[in-house]
Amino acid sequence: MKALTSAEMKSFLKSLTGEYDVRAPVRLEDGTRALGHLDEGRLAIEGGPIARKPNDIFFPQFDVILNAKGNKFKVADSLQKPLFVIGFTAEDCECLEFVDKFYSENFRDEIYFAKRDKAVIAAVSGKCGKDGEMLKIAGGKCDLEFIYDGSKYIVCAYTLKGKKIEEKIKCEEKSAKIDELKKLSDSIHNEDLEILKKAGELIRKNAVPDDFWKEIANRCISCTACNIACPTCTCFDVCDHDRERVIERIRMWDSCQLDGFMREASGHNPLGEEYLRARRRIHHKLAADYERWGHITCFLCGRCDDVCPTNIGIKSVNREIVKRFG
Amino acid sequence: MIKSKNEAIVSQNYVPTNCEILSITTLTPSEKLFKIKMPNGKELGHMPGQFVQVSIPGLTEAPISVASSPTRKGYFELAVRNAGTLTGALHKLDEGDYLGIRGPFGSCFDIEAMKGKNLLLISGGCGLAPMRSLIQYCEDNIDEFENVKILYGAKNPEQMLFKDEIRQWEESRHFNCLYTVDEIKSGDNYKGKVGLITKLIPPLNIDKNNTIAVIIGPPVMYKFVIAELMKKGINEEQIIVSLERYMRCGIGKCGHCVIEHKYCCIDGPVFWLKDVMELKGAL
Repeated sequence: MKALTSAEMKSFLKSLTGEYDVRAPVRLEDGTRALGHLDEGRLAIEGGPIARKPNDIFFPQFDVILNAKGNKFKVADSLQKPLFVIGFTAEDCECLEFVDKFYSENFRDEIYFAKRDKAVIAAVSGKCGKDGEMLKIAGGKCDLEFIYDGSKYIVCAYTLKGKKIEEKIKCEEKSAKIDELKKLSDSIHNEDLEILKKAGELIRKNAVPDDFWKEIANRCISCTACNIACPTCTCFDVCDHDRERVIERIRMWDSCQLDGFMREASGHNPLGEEYLRARRRIHHKLAADYERWGHITCFLCGRCDDVCPTNIGIKSVNREIVKRFG
Repeated sequence: MIKSKNEAIVSQNYVPTNCEILSITTLTPSEKLFKIKMPNGKELGHMPGQFVQVSIPGLTEAPISVASSPTRKGYFELAVRNAGTLTGALHKLDEGDYLGIRGPFGSCFDIEAMKGKNLLLISGGCGLAPMRSLIQYCEDNIDEFENVKILYGAKNPEQMLFKDEIRQWEESRHFNCLYTVDEIKSGDNYKGKVGLITKLIPPLNIDKNNTIAVIIGPPVMYKFVIAELMKKGINEEQIIVSLERYMRCGIGKCGHCVIEHKYCCIDGPVFWLKDVMELKGAL
């Protein structure tokens, strides 16, 4: 199998920059580990999920979607080169798969797919989590995967786009023990997954009363970090900016945790009470999306729990739901 | 879900089409009717119940229901209340000006299910605008429907929409039209009924086995009107509602119009009551 050491990985990624706009986890000057260009910081593939959702590359916090001169709008220019993005975890790949489905059904979102269609997604897994922790193997749902065995990244390509990249790698590793790594990955016990499923069932059975959501709302400071961090939160607002005789129509992330999220021009506000907003954040992923898409749309990436200043991320709330109503 | 006959497939789904304003009519102190034409003689291609996103560069967009029937060719109409920055700017436009239109979007009234039925068309306030699209459709295809009753409630005589047309509907042999206002003040030159719209329902003679009711109005109106209809033996499978929500994209992506698992902009705004009555926050 093809494989790369950490040093070879760096030069390999550099070799892709002629053809692709390469984004990889890098350590920025301020110490932050984030997706960036290779010249923005030291390559930092190891360390587990990056703090910011990686799929925001296709749906950034602020995205100019249209430009208007006078009355005439046209679609804003997209990327010049296709993206090559490395750094998705298995959970991130599941989130991306859902968001791709969300953006393609009913109306296909041309702004999203202008970036997404040509992009190559590379997952990172194996013994490269924080302090060498084993990260689950994605095994698909991405174009190719780099599985770290402790000394080398073993390459597994799943799509034609992934195979095209794999062909560029010359280094072989005959003793790659991919089966052992897969067994290790399969043996990762995820208690949160069982709790997520149980909490979902309870919410869908209406076993979680409004009083519970009122308690959660009392602990929420409406900072919106949960929505901002979540790879499957896709809500956006639209605003126009006047920039020297060119109007830019921008879409930017919005949060269902804000009072004005659903307020209508008439003043009617279907999410006007805090507990309804606290409920919506979790009900939507565990019950509403389950009804619409046939599955829960939280994939337990853990980011909302990591960022929530009051410990009411989705895993925490699920544990509380199961403990009290299960 | 009531599907539109013409599923709007727009190649560039966020780019508005510039459309010319043919005429502007003042309906009330806060509402104007814009008669608009698509470029190159095209039709909007909507069905009653659908909406468009109206755009002004610099002020983003707002969802507005189409107030005219697709049977009236060569133009479409939007009744717009001056309620915010964009609608305020719309009210300052003149005939011959252009505005951006995306759509039509959303579900429409289930015309096929209405054919051969008695119709009870109940609207309150601005709800008469989308209902007018359906009323005009019925007027132009009157042989397809049995008795058509129109009930309308406004806050006061000044805020009644389409007064001239209401008079025509009252006089038309095709319609049975009743209206009321919540309140009058001294000096109002008004001879009609006073009281909530729910008071118009009890005296009606309704064939409960062959009637479809349509309700469009302010959020507070629905549960009271539905309760009156149920007293008459009309059930949730015979009632259609059109729900107002804050729609930023119109194509099921922005998340602002979500009612549990339904997206008001693509699954609605027109729903059979049976499909939304159990959804928290729908009514």
